[in-house]
Amino acid sequence: MAVVTPLRIGEPVLRWSARAHSIADIERELTRIWSTQDLTTDVDGVPGRHVSARSSVMNLVVIARRPELAEHCAATIQALTGRHPSRTMIVGSADPDGPSWLDARVEAHCVLPREGAPETCAEMIHVTAGGESGRHLAAIVTPLLIHDLPVTVWWPDEPPLGIPAARDMIGAADRLVVDGSTWNGDGLDRLRELAELVEAGRLAVSDFALVRQSRWREAIASIFDDPEFLPYLRSLRRIAVTYGTHDETGTVGFTNLVKPVYHVAWLASRLGLQVVKPLAAIAGPARTGIARPVRSTGAVQTAGKGLGATLSDGRIDVNVLVRPVVSPMPAGTTLRVELLAERRGSELRADVTAEAETVHVRVWQDGVEALERHFRAPRLTEVDLLAEAIEAGGRDSVAEGALRSAAALAGPKGSRG
Amino acid sequence: MAGKVATPATPATQAPDAEPTTPAAPAAPATPDAPAAPAKSKDVPLTMKDLRLARQGKRASRAKAAENVLREGLRLERVPDPSVVVLFGATGDLAHRKVIPAIYQLWRTNLLPHEFILLAIGRRPYDDATYRAEIRASLETYSRVLPIDEAAWASFADRIVYHQFDFHDPGGFEGLATHLATIDKEHGTRGNHLFYLAIQPSQFAGIIAGLGRVGLDHERHDEGWRRVVIEKPFGHDLESAKRLNREVGKVFRESQVYRIDHYLGKETVRNLLVFRFGNGIFEPLWNRRYVDHVQITVAESIGIESRGSFYEQTGASRDVLQNHLLQLVSLIAMEPPATFEADALRDEKVKVLRAIASVPVDVKHGGVVRGQYGPGWVAATQVPGYRQEEEVDPASETETFVAAKLSIDDWRWSGVPFYIRTGKRLPKRATEIAIQYREVPHRLFKDEDVGPDANLLAIRIQPDEGIMLRFGAKVPGLGLDVRSVTMDFTYGSAFNVDSPDAYETLILDALQGDASLFTRADEVEEAWAIVDPIVESWAAAPAPEFPNYDAGTWGPPASEELLARDGRRWRRF
Repeated sequence: MAVVTPLRIGEPVLRWSARAHSIADIERELTRIWSTQDLTTDVDGVPGRHVSARSSVMNLVVIARRPELAEHCAATIQALTGRHPSRTMIVGSADPDGPSWLDARVEAHCVLPREGAPETCAEMIHVTAGGESGRHLAAIVTPLLIHDLPVTVWWPDEPPLGIPAARDMIGAADRLVVDGSTWNGDGLDRLRELAELVEAGRLAVSDFALVRQSRWREAIASIFDDPEFLPYLRSLRRIAVTYGTHDETGTVGFTNLVKPVYHVAWLASRLGLQVVKPLAAIAGPARTGIARPVRSTGAVQTAGKGLGATLSDGRIDVNVLVRPVVSPMPAGTTLRVELLAERRGSELRADVTAEAETVHVRVWQDGVEALERHFRAPRLTEVDLLAEAIEAGGRDSVAEGALRSAAALAGPKGSRG
Repeated sequence: MAGKVATPATPATQAPDAEPTTPAAPAAPATPDAPAAPAKSKDVPLTMKDLRLARQGKRASRAKAAENVLREGLRLERVPDPSVVVLFGATGDLAHRKVIPAIYQLWRTNLLPHEFILLAIGRRPYDDATYRAEIRASLETYSRVLPIDEAAWASFADRIVYHQFDFHDPGGFEGLATHLATIDKEHGTRGNHLFYLAIQPSQFAGIIAGLGRVGLDHERHDEGWRRVVIEKPFGHDLESAKRLNREVGKVFRESQVYRIDHYLGKETVRNLLVFRFGNGIFEPLWNRRYVDHVQITVAESIGIESRGSFYEQTGASRDVLQNHLLQLVSLIAMEPPATFEADALRDEKVKVLRAIASVPVDVKHGGVVRGQYGPGWVAATQVPGYRQEEEVDPASETETFVAAKLSIDDWRWSGVPFYIRTGKRLPKRATEIAIQYREVPHRLFKDEDVGPDANLLAIRIQPDEGIMLRFGAKVPGLGLDVRSVTMDFTYGSAFNVDSPDAYETLILDALQGDASLFTRADEVEEAWAIVDPIVESWAAAPAPEFPNYDAGTWGPPASEELLARDGRRWRRF
């Protein structure tokens, strides 16, 4: 039924809400939204009539198996003021052993972009499927897609990429949105599965874990904007990424490594470096098994030394170190990226660190400080990340290259222990 | 680059037990299943280059790293360098309405470097606090995004420094140079200075000469770049534009000069290039074989506001035709540039202007129409005529409307007229480019009552930015009636993303050293070469019978006749 609410410029409001219990019911309600002619609204208390138009952007399908996750995702999408997809389906399942059932809430949210303009509306369908039908989400989603508009699937949990039902769902998508930094274990095996999926088809992928680190990449890239430093870019000898962990033993597989590994993978893919030796635990003299402070930084070094790998451009090798330090930051957060390049007897070192709002870059050339810069770059929120993911068009060769390199760095399953 | 400070050879940040930094590992794969590093075997045939170099006794060298490959896919092509924007005319209208809100917006969205200072230059005896308060008040009105972001404002305000300076004081430039040196030292802005001239055109030459006198134009190695942004109008005729170009050229190299025409920074104008050269289906139809004619309208419903004395000296031909309108014509008519780099783009635009200038507009036979509005009604409001406006001569002969038929004498457009018009106090604000396609060669549907119009592609620049394609469709039913229908794309429904203001785009481009959307000296001169003969012929003609159109109408009747003579008419808005 139509919901009459005051409409303020730029603020989305709920303009339609109805319940449905079958796909046919949902389709009927969607038709009713657009056949209703009396969408009279008030703008700042002044009565007015605005023709409503559905946005022509995309279908967004959110796979949220848990109700609280579904609510969280709905709130994130709502916060994309004025940037709604045309049709959003938030799909979940319940009661897997019971009989098949379907419960849906069909809504239309409209926004007035500016005075005198027609309202732009987006549909949101919350679907919960019970019993056997909950295992066939693609069969629920596919008939409800607006044809000719791209389909983005946002899978906020860990997508079970090996399961046929998940593959069916992803098979209907043009873009898959995930957050690799939330996956179980070190997350690298799942990352390799994701890379395989991308290689196999036409699917584009947005990983929040990669997008979230764009501020680091901007800062690292800025070093080589300087013509004096640019020649060193092809002469990297070492990449070291320090990440935070809550595990004092630094055991491999305990902390999600997707974000730190993406830094290495991005550099490797942009520079055309091949993985000669995938990531493996660094062997070294046995430690006492307890964490100890690092003199220069105050950070607490874990007992484990982290992972090492070797990259090569066919000419020189690049040593990779991904090392943990105990930190109160969320586990798997990148704390520092260090680069070393050597060229014709000259050495360039770069050190990049970040805080909530700022990224810091320091560069030494032959031991002499040559550059210090600070970049205002706040951490991206989930709303920012989703906005960037749904506004991206087509496949992102940079992201795919990074994913491919990350998969190569991850190596075969179980190889990092 | 920052002052160099000696530090230990090992960064203090490095963990003491970090892995050795000098690679000891050989190039050979360390594990049997790892991919082997590519190596040239003696059995592999050599490339032609290898063969040639081998003959010369040389080894093939790796191609030099010419670009920063890490930049691909990032938000900016490069992060602006630490810099100072030196804003001349900082207390003026343009600064308050456009320039500073744009800089604030760039700051708010983290597109400016951390090491950034806005050095506001004005004659008024302000201190930093007074000027910041004035800016804050004007942002409350002119900021594109309201309310003001308090945290962003606080950090932005800290970076606004006021410098009192009377441009006529010759000693003032030494003071400015000293102040800039202090700022560079204290704020790490590294000698990168963008001089933004938001001032009266008559002051351009004096300020540029003053900057040159104290060496503020010099780009020395390691001491930062120097750029100057000059607002339109750039000269008032060909001679004055050439003179000004000479004056600017005595101090700054062309690569340091950014002549701003804010129309080029508008999102839809920039999209013209994407639309034309990023889509395969339109470019083959973009020529004399398929296009009947092109119409470009830049209509304003407002009058001259409080700019009477300025407008008296410019008129529609100098205010809009010479720059905005001719820029739109050149973007529509240009050949595809070889690359998207500034000079490649501007080379193609200049060729269009030259092709127009080679066929002088036929002023004598009505190829150009001028008009001036009288009193009338616009948007249900009674408005005065131009001659009744403040600071306007009651017998003014300044044109507030101009329409012209241009010919572009080149392979692509020969014989295709470009009708252009601009005016003040027209019924509505609208900027649109319409590509009118030719009729079908043979009318197949003889029974139709009203034939469909020929296909039309309309690109709306403002308001309601979008693109519309008109085509014929069968009316449902048993007969075979054909009507025109439209496919309409609007930015608002497809993207729903806030577009940056043109000034934001252009200021960021200038800070990044990208001159693609700025006008080059020869472009300015070629545009004047088109406008000058028109203005000269008016000067030689008897006094016009002004006013000749009522405010709230689409210009003088002669404007309609301009197209009617060719059996065409202006598009209705």
